[in-house]
Amino acid sequence: MTMFLKSRRFMLASAVAAGLVFPIAASAATLTVMQTEAPRSMDPGDQTATYTAALLDPMYEGLVKRDTDLSLKPALATEWSADASGLVWTFKLRPDVKFHDGTAFDADAVVKNFARHLDTKRGLAASGRLRTFLDSVTAVDPMTVQFKLKTQYPAFLALLTTGPCLMVSPAADAAGTIGSKAVGTGAYKLQEYKSGEYVLQAKNTDWWGGAPKGEDQIKWTWTSEPSVMNMALQTGDADVINPFPSAFAAQVKANPEMKLSTTDGSAVFWVSLNTKLKPLDDVRVRQALNYATDKEGLVKAFMQGYATPANSPLAPVTPGYDKTLNPYPYNVEKAKQLLKDAGYPDGFAMSTIVQEQEARIGELLQAMWAKAGVKLEVRKMEGGVWSKAAFLDPAGKEKDNIGSSIASWSSGVNGADLQFRPLYYTKSASPAGANLGFFSDPKLDGMIDKAASTLDEKARNAIYVDAQKEVNEQAPHVLLYTKRDLFATRAGVSGVWMIPGGGIVVKDGKKK
Amino acid sequence: MASIETDIAPRRPAILRGLRWAAAHRSITLGGLLIGVIVLAAIFAPLIAPADPYVQDLLATMEPPSWAHPFGTDDNGRDIFTRVIYGARISLLEVVLAVGLAVAVGVPLGILSGMSGRYVDQAIMWTMDILFAFPGIVLAILIVSVLGTSLINLLIAIAIFSVPVYARLSRNLTLGLKNMEYVEAAHSLGISRRRIMTHYILRNAIGPIIVQSTLTAGTVILSAASLSFLGLGAQPPLPEWGAMMSDGRNYLGLNIWMSLFPGLAIMITVLGFNILGDGLRDLLDPRR
Amino acid sequence: MKAYILKKILALPLILIGVSLLVFVAIRALPGDPARLMAGPEATQEAVDAMTARLGLDRSLPEQYASFAYGAVRGDLGTSIKSKLPVTAEIAERLPFTIGLAITAYLLAIGIGVPAGMIAAIYRHGWPDQAVMILAIAGASIANFWLALMAMNTFSVQLGWLPLLGVTSWKSFILPSITLAVLPTAVIARMTRSSMIEVMSQDYIRTAYAKGVLPRNIYWSHALRNALIPIITIVGLNFGSLMGGAVVTESVFNWPGIGRFLVDAVRYRDYPVIQGVTLVAVSGVVIMNFLAELLIAVLNPKIRFD
Repeated sequence: MTMFLKSRRFMLASAVAAGLVFPIAASAATLTVMQTEAPRSMDPGDQTATYTAALLDPMYEGLVKRDTDLSLKPALATEWSADASGLVWTFKLRPDVKFHDGTAFDADAVVKNFARHLDTKRGLAASGRLRTFLDSVTAVDPMTVQFKLKTQYPAFLALLTTGPCLMVSPAADAAGTIGSKAVGTGAYKLQEYKSGEYVLQAKNTDWWGGAPKGEDQIKWTWTSEPSVMNMALQTGDADVINPFPSAFAAQVKANPEMKLSTTDGSAVFWVSLNTKLKPLDDVRVRQALNYATDKEGLVKAFMQGYATPANSPLAPVTPGYDKTLNPYPYNVEKAKQLLKDAGYPDGFAMSTIVQEQEARIGELLQAMWAKAGVKLEVRKMEGGVWSKAAFLDPAGKEKDNIGSSIASWSSGVNGADLQFRPLYYTKSASPAGANLGFFSDPKLDGMIDKAASTLDEKARNAIYVDAQKEVNEQAPHVLLYTKRDLFATRAGVSGVWMIPGGGIVVKDGKKK
Repeated sequence: MASIETDIAPRRPAILRGLRWAAAHRSITLGGLLIGVIVLAAIFAPLIAPADPYVQDLLATMEPPSWAHPFGTDDNGRDIFTRVIYGARISLLEVVLAVGLAVAVGVPLGILSGMSGRYVDQAIMWTMDILFAFPGIVLAILIVSVLGTSLINLLIAIAIFSVPVYARLSRNLTLGLKNMEYVEAAHSLGISRRRIMTHYILRNAIGPIIVQSTLTAGTVILSAASLSFLGLGAQPPLPEWGAMMSDGRNYLGLNIWMSLFPGLAIMITVLGFNILGDGLRDLLDPRR
Repeated sequence: MKAYILKKILALPLILIGVSLLVFVAIRALPGDPARLMAGPEATQEAVDAMTARLGLDRSLPEQYASFAYGAVRGDLGTSIKSKLPVTAEIAERLPFTIGLAITAYLLAIGIGVPAGMIAAIYRHGWPDQAVMILAIAGASIANFWLALMAMNTFSVQLGWLPLLGVTSWKSFILPSITLAVLPTAVIARMTRSSMIEVMSQDYIRTAYAKGVLPRNIYWSHALRNALIPIITIVGLNFGSLMGGAVVTESVFNWPGIGRFLVDAVRYRDYPVIQGVTLVAVSGVVIMNFLAELLIAVLNPKIRFD
């Protein structure tokens, strides 16, 4: 009898202990989201990563927000207007909004939020783009702010929905804690951040928008293993998976307990060719590589079909995209002929640098280009090393014999300028920008500048069509494909959607 | 034991003598056989393997084992059996390079340490203690991070963390041999220190060093595979077993063959080296 | 005896300084620019320079080492480049998971390895001995990440019995700890066997036999007590290889310990984290080794590790 009691007590004790150790094990009111990487910061202005932005989204808001139909709607600003020059913008702020720490949201908070990005000494990760066009932000009255731009910037409003323009509590920023403890105005507030395990968010009952529509809590976890992501969804350990690994797509589609969603992505994948390095300085050689690339095969093999072969430097969702272009159908003979014309009848050898997760692209290209006589050496690198090598200057790349770099660029729905300017503009040549192959074409530069200052959308898009043709013709990149963004949820989950570009929005997500 | 065999030997045919020896030294025989098979597979890879280890077939990716592809195909449609066979070349090369480098650095250091006076000895041993304090994998990760990710750099890293093993072993052997009569006699005959090191000490230390090398070989293969698996070693498209498993891990739940077979190959090879090493050690030092 | 212990204690800081120097120098030699990585792909040169200054990477190497060493002594290992959190706090959050895994694995290894080794010794040359030795050598030859993958595939993916991810319940410990325990179990079994054989051949055991003490009592009280030393040796001195195993095992099982933290940090070139985790892990190993040596010196004054 005593033995029995003892063992009962022991069981009870261990049950309590287990409960203490794992307090947040599967609770019905928690929506669990799994992504591929851990958050880089709790400060939206100090990161440029898609998955971090998605995680921060429930907690932060900007002056403007993007709605489910992708249109721009008022958020922390209730209305706005621009003067005739397009250089001065005035925003009326929403009254009675408080940050999670109790700080009032007003013009002063907005000014401080932008001032920290314009302060070159801060070195916040997301400041760069703002600084290129934003001159100053001033308070007109406690509830009105005015933005002065250096140049016209068609994507200005769209940019206000992104990381650097989300409002953080000025008090938390001044205290230096914002990087580890999120304080915004959003429908959810940070409850717990375990950097090795998860981020837990709880409903903000004081939210200006009323009661938040989503679950009581949102739990974010992460893994770099595609198989683990798939399995987490299968077992119900996760309710939402983003991005969903395409290799497992067929499996999920066949399972009624899960739902696979695809949206047109905005990330264009390419191989940037070093136009300063022989023989890639010859446009015929660059064109030959484009012809030698079996984009359909690549999409099938690497993306299981969840991608669109690239026919333009722009993604299909980007305003101005021209779907009628078809510059380089797969044609090995044509590639060989062009190489012969350029003086390389027996092909040549070159190298490419690629990050781990895209290493297979390199392997696939290696096999494809070999058929045209091009011997591709694939150098797989970790993120940091890759960045350093990719952003070398011409001399550095010549020294290390870096012939090309495989990467992707995503400007979302925020405008073609954000794709053309960093990638193909002469002044964006690495290390200043992401023109990794030092491509320089005055004709194209002119088009990019002209489009950027054309406020009429139709006229602007017409210029972008010409710009797409010019890039295709000059072939500074071997354009590969535009990824389709995949995410998957358990069948009972509703209200989760995705902004083209891979950012998932879960704050309205509900479980059945 | 040995003397009995030689006594009987002349009356028996060679093959029987061999079998007898093999029966008496089962570990060496079994280990030797396993390693022999791996070595043969490595040498004759082009003759054994049915395909080219690098040629992709994007229409036949991730197929399960069949007559055409005994181990199936990988995510790029390459024949896994072929790649496992070619992988043997890489693994054996790893052993030769990493163990060779570790011995080439560690043994002279150890003998020098044992022969020299206090300060040199202490300086060398302090350095070795520091290296030894690092878990092998952790030190290798650190070194690979510095040198950059490649198979050669990985082997250098593995060699570096194996150096202390050889330095300590040969130092202890030297200390034991140094005071042996014949070494002292050589000293008094005026034979140079260098000659003593090479001709007297090294020659007698070779047995234990070979045993240690055989045992280290297994560690080398496991470490190299682990780090390649973590993406810090062999680069694509090299058919290194650990790297192949790293590819396979991405498809767990979809395809198990990509990870199963390279892992089996690692196990058989390491098992071979370990069994052989055990046998050799027993032969040299039957007490244990 | 005292002199020996004193010597060991004096050597400890020397080793730790050497370790910290090696880690520091290695980290500075890393390729890849953490400032550029942290600033992001769109950052201007100006932003990268600001970041460099913020991280203190523009100071001279001795200055950087001095501030690193001074900080490390006070428990300040800098700030993670990736998460921007204090490295010490990040390690403190993860260390319990690694230690928990290590303890579970060691308990398993001792619980299985010691009896297996004893049985092998008692039935020396019999089939139990053969079986144990074959399993032990196989266990020492297996790649633990492969075992982990196969176990995951069988028990989590195919059968769905065990969780796949991180730590959700006590069940999460099962696969990682078994995977991690395989190698130490094999080593402990072999070690126990050979030291039992050695002990059993000694005179006092034979005397006990002759006096008619029951064999079972001999095994458990006399022999095992003497076999304890090698077991402590293995547990203490093999802590390093266990840590190495943890790096790989944690990565496979998505375990929130310091091993996976290290691998992730290498990917992101997170200097302060690589530096901090390496330092903590190696210091742990050095101290475990030291304690094992001390304990052995107390238990059996004849044994020395020089």
